[in-house]
Amino acid sequence: MPSRTDVYKYVWRLPLILWQGLFFVVPLLLMVAMSFWLVRNYRMTPDFIFDNWERMLTRGYVWNAYEVTFLRATVAAALASLIAFPASFALAFRVSETTRRWAIFFLIVPFFTSYLVRVYAWQVLLAESGPINAVLGFAGLGPFTMLNSGFGAMVGYMTLVLPLVVILQTFSLAAIDKNLIEAAANLGAGAAQRLFNVIIPAAKVGLILGAVFAFILSFGDFVSPFYLGGSKPPTLSILIIDTTKSGQQWPRAAVVAVMMIVTLFVVAFAAVGAAYGRRNG
Amino acid sequence: MTAPLVRLEGVKKSYGDSVAVKGIDLAIGRGEFIAIMGPSGCGKTTTLRMLAGLETPTEGTVTIDGKVMNDVPVHARDTPLVWQSLALFPFLNVAQNVEFGLKMRGVPAKERRQKVATWLDRLGLSDFARRRVDQLSGGQRQRVALARSLVTEPPILLLDEPLSALDAHLVIRMQGVLTKLQRELGITFVYVTHSQSEAFAMADRVVIMGHGEIAQIGRPREIFRAPRNRFVAEFVGRNNILSGTVSGGAIDLGPITVPLPGAADGPAEIVVAADRMKISREAPAAPALAADFVSEEFAGTGIICYFEGPGGEELKAQVSEDELEALDPAPGARFYLTWAPESAHVMTGQS
Repeated sequence: MPSRTDVYKYVWRLPLILWQGLFFVVPLLLMVAMSFWLVRNYRMTPDFIFDNWERMLTRGYVWNAYEVTFLRATVAAALASLIAFPASFALAFRVSETTRRWAIFFLIVPFFTSYLVRVYAWQVLLAESGPINAVLGFAGLGPFTMLNSGFGAMVGYMTLVLPLVVILQTFSLAAIDKNLIEAAANLGAGAAQRLFNVIIPAAKVGLILGAVFAFILSFGDFVSPFYLGGSKPPTLSILIIDTTKSGQQWPRAAVVAVMMIVTLFVVAFAAVGAAYGRRNG
Repeated sequence: MTAPLVRLEGVKKSYGDSVAVKGIDLAIGRGEFIAIMGPSGCGKTTTLRMLAGLETPTEGTVTIDGKVMNDVPVHARDTPLVWQSLALFPFLNVAQNVEFGLKMRGVPAKERRQKVATWLDRLGLSDFARRRVDQLSGGQRQRVALARSLVTEPPILLLDEPLSALDAHLVIRMQGVLTKLQRELGITFVYVTHSQSEAFAMADRVVIMGHGEIAQIGRPREIFRAPRNRFVAEFVGRNNILSGTVSGGAIDLGPITVPLPGAADGPAEIVVAADRMKISREAPAAPALAADFVSEEFAGTGIICYFEGPGGEELKAQVSEDELEALDPAPGARFYLTWAPESAHVMTGQS
């Protein structure tokens, strides 16, 4: 018989377990099941056929989309981490506690407005006849095609992930024991040596977490590649939309979705392993 | 003393309006074990951090080995510090922690390995080389911090209350490790502490600081027997501070007048160490302070008895356990306190 404390433990855990079960595990299993269903005359019938998998995994365009999506998400994660780091470093070490709190607040503000609205704003700014090209035109440059390109999509990804990456990095950097940095200097480490030998290793978890979030959000994003990237080449998210629209091919879309989820799981687990991995010897 | 290794001249440190160190002069010799002691906020840690270059003096100069250090950045100095929190790198193992300073200074890998091995061995850490620092005990971590600081063979080691987080029995053991190391290496140790027992047990000289100033510098015995002023006497404790007026080789303490040969006439404060106070039940022939027993406190080497003096002041006398048993005092019991005239030290400094 479980003891009293055990009962409490389960009672408190129950909402989380139910939530995750209802809205994550069940839909996921349903999706996996659906990927084996049959579509005939625009109607899905539960079945257990491998046609969908076979079709999707043997088509070049699926793998091309996979490659584009993975590559872009990787670049977005790296770029966001690099752009965010100087800002996070300044917020963590160069400003007062009060300034840092305000900065974090203003980094949260973007999440108040719809991401879609912000992306539309970029459409105006990045347009061939938009303000950015107008300014560059004064300098005798351009006009540049920024919309409907990988560049446009990347601007969108940064809009989505940068505030979050800065927040995660800032928290992890600010949490570093300042004595460690002083100790490094005291042991002869110059500014660059302190950065690479103490600050980055000590903030490793937060830095990796920031990059992983950037990867996950960019990998699954539909808005930026569609509205700023011009859906050419299509990413996996665009492929899913296209597949469901064309002939009610939900099972084939489910195949793509499962591929994406598996990828995210692998990346997330690898990252957590790297973040918390022990470096010994 | 040969040319001192460290010289502080008129060193002052202020943060905006608040002054942490008010202007101190101090010379520290080569191979000397010096303890800087004082209550919290007295400026002792700031002084140590100025030696390490972690703080820049607002005024004055810090000279180490004949070189003015004021503008030398932290990482260009060879003044390792052992932090109160130890500040070991949690993402590195024991050997990597010890190796850090050598690596930062670009010492070749082969030489690094040799030196690390030597120091791990010297501090009894060889078996833990591959361990993470959070897998070590407090005493082991302490030794890692020491090895990490000493591996570059610096002329000086700075220590900021390194034993304050340890259990009492470990403190004694680490004191032994530290004094032995200091003697063997022959380098200068500057040890900041608020613990009198640590300072007195290890240091050649003790610097007492209060309110950003040096109150007294001296050998532990000097500080204890001959405190310069009331601040030092109160900080050192285990003594009786009595004030009165001297005239003609005797001091009038109010209730009694006792001989004080050689003292200049005028108001004076004297200090009598608790272990020089004699107590008796019967009023002696010599002038004695009548005092009422309050309580006793076991102090390891003896027992400190607390009394309430004629003016309500606290008086202390140290007795042995046998003496205490013979006296068998009850709270409120009347005793008579006397001391030999030569046991009284006249404090000359301003508080």
